[in-house]
Amino acid sequence: MARTSAGRATRRAHLLRCLLGPLPAAYSEYAAVGPSSAPRIWTLLVALFRARVGLHALGVSLIIGVVFAPSEGSAQAGDANAGKAVYERKCAMCHGVKGDGKGAGAELLDPKPRDFTSGVYKIRTTANKTPSDQDLFRIITAGMPGTSMPPWDVLPEKERWNLVAYIKTFAADKFKEAPKKLELPKEVSSSEASIKRGKEMYEAIECHKCHGNLGRADGPSRPELKDDWGHPIAPANLTKRWTFRGGASRTEIATRIANGVLGTPMPSFIDSVEKPEDVWHLTNYILSLGPESPAYATLVTVNGTTDAIPDDPNAEFWKKAAPNTIPLMGQVIVDPRNFNPIIDLVIVRGAYNDKEIAFHLTWDDPSQTTAEGRADAPGAAKKIAADAIALQFPSKIVPGTERPYFLMGDATDSVYLLRWEGGKAGEVSASGPTKLKTLEGGEVVSKTVYENGQYRVVIKRPLAGKGEERPTFQPSTFVPVAFQAWDGGAGETGTRMSLTSWYYLRLEPPQSNRRFVVPPVVALLTLVAMLLVVRAASRGRGR
Amino acid sequence: MMRKALAGFAAVALMAGTAWVAAPPFADAQGGGTVEVEVKYSGAADVQTLKVNKDTEQCGKEAKVENIVVGGNKGLANAVASIAGAKGQPTGKKAAIDQKGCKFVPHVIATTPGEVDILNSDGILHNIHTYSTANPSINKAQPKFKKTMTEKFEKPEFIKVTCDVHSWMLGWIAVMPHPYFGVTNESGVAKIENAPAGKQTVEVWHEKLGKVTKDVEVKPGATTKVTVEMVKK
Ligand SMILES: [Cu+2]
Repeated sequence: MARTSAGRATRRAHLLRCLLGPLPAAYSEYAAVGPSSAPRIWTLLVALFRARVGLHALGVSLIIGVVFAPSEGSAQAGDANAGKAVYERKCAMCHGVKGDGKGAGAELLDPKPRDFTSGVYKIRTTANKTPSDQDLFRIITAGMPGTSMPPWDVLPEKERWNLVAYIKTFAADKFKEAPKKLELPKEVSSSEASIKRGKEMYEAIECHKCHGNLGRADGPSRPELKDDWGHPIAPANLTKRWTFRGGASRTEIATRIANGVLGTPMPSFIDSVEKPEDVWHLTNYILSLGPESPAYATLVTVNGTTDAIPDDPNAEFWKKAAPNTIPLMGQVIVDPRNFNPIIDLVIVRGAYNDKEIAFHLTWDDPSQTTAEGRADAPGAAKKIAADAIALQFPSKIVPGTERPYFLMGDATDSVYLLRWEGGKAGEVSASGPTKLKTLEGGEVVSKTVYENGQYRVVIKRPLAGKGEERPTFQPSTFVPVAFQAWDGGAGETGTRMSLTSWYYLRLEPPQSNRRFVVPPVVALLTLVAMLLVVRAASRGRGR
Repeated sequence: MMRKALAGFAAVALMAGTAWVAAPPFADAQGGGTVEVEVKYSGAADVQTLKVNKDTEQCGKEAKVENIVVGGNKGLANAVASIAGAKGQPTGKKAAIDQKGCKFVPHVIATTPGEVDILNSDGILHNIHTYSTANPSINKAQPKFKKTMTEKFEKPEFIKVTCDVHSWMLGWIAVMPHPYFGVTNESGVAKIENAPAGKQTVEVWHEKLGKVTKDVEVKPGATTKVTVEMVKK
């Protein structure tokens, strides 16, 4: 039961990401043209995209109201030969025809696709190295959140069991040892006392070394972590459990703590906690660190106020302001692309008064980097840039649905960026991702707080825009807005960024009781756009 | 009654005698000898220094990665010397490796198949992460309150041991198929005790330099010296 709800949450997260995240449009452009520079990569991406389009279609049906619940069933004996055909069609691209994880697309992916010949599997419910068939089936079905492994619940259940049988043949000798079920200690339900004990244990067993004090994956050992194959690997951000590779249910989390994640730095703790039930206290604590799902916004609301707007990001004012959580995705349209973006969401709060407009942005970044760089940690990436984030608006806000190209505009329609970089905000006019012009003489102020792997930044500017290149914000209007973010510590700079497509900003009049009627319309438009994407992709498939 | 007791005594004496003969076993019975292996390396030492960003109280401000440690007179430390292809029973001694100053101490331990104690003198979180093929790989957390963990290594193999919390930490557990081995000290000398007499091959293994062999004539009851040169491959 827990499984099903976790599965649903994952799917919901994916769905929201796909629906609201602007990327489908970007990808569809991709599907229509395709970069001539990298045809192989292109083929792969289209394939991955198609895999995800399947998801979108599901998502659409979910939105329309068809509740989708996958039948999981008990373990079935699959037919390896039949599985081979499916494997070569669906899996070989990344995992390789030989199962060695060296498919055509492997190079681009992070984390790397599993090397099935090693017989090492991260996610097991078994006490030994051998995963159960059910474990493999679960990953194929649910995918691995936060990686390039999509859920394959679009395949008939029988085909997934056949795949299980086939991938085991890549390391037949490793499966000679029968899986031994891991027995978890007796479950402890969540309570204040249990969460408190979990926190004590979290500190005692030093989870923070990798996962950070508040679970934001910013621990001091983070830059040094490598998997058993020597590839850098990031610790889980415990505040975003929808990205947990092995699922976000209580039992799944407890199993990861008890068992570790094979082939990664995450060790087994079952013999290393003070009392066995501490595994459950830790689980309850981890569940208390963040929401179940990110609750993405469809629209960014900026509330009017008659007060002064504080520029301190930690001010009480901002704690009271409504958060709008916006998902970001890697920029993969122009070179150099970002296939493995670090910043996956930003929480936006906004306020305006009769003089100025302010944005409060919160996002997780495991390493604070400025243009000068940072204290060098062992094994840290050498190529670093300044962390940055930007809000993008049309240079001129006009009524209607016309907007500049979402990727920093183009020669005909430029965009205006409120851009914060390494602790300082400024204004930029852009007519393309590499055609940036700094606007001088503005009145932008900003204040930055960086704490425990999280930035909180306030950026303010006058409501009225000076000159042709700065938009003027007017109350009670819709303003197109998009976001871009860079984790400089991971080497993200230039077009290697996370981004969104256009959203809308709504400047809500002060103390207005008139709630909005427009969001459903916006949602409907998004849905229509989605359907177009799905159609375009199906057409692509027919080609 | 007396007779019975006497018989009992005799039996015990006999058993004890047998045990006494068999105990220091394999060697003296056939007249084993000592092989003193001196391992030389003419290349440069390879010890890297890293800046430490955590646990500096225990780890210090700098960590050393001891890839190739060369002592006086070109002696190569941390190499395992053994009699190739020998057969013999486990030593029965439990080996131990400590985590002290965020280093595995000693850097290399050698033991026969069985249990190994893994100590945590630092009193901070380490995780024992082994890379093996013959034995099951392990990755177990060893928090500050876990002073000793005992792990079993049943199959002969050179096992790399790391800690992910402190990525520079690196040690080796050499599980040997017989008791005729030694680990070179800082001057590059290892002693193999009670080695079977006669024509033998000494095999030297080093984590970075691989394996080298050399023939030796082991004289019973005497110490035979042999010098083995290792080179970078
Ligand atoms: Cu350590």
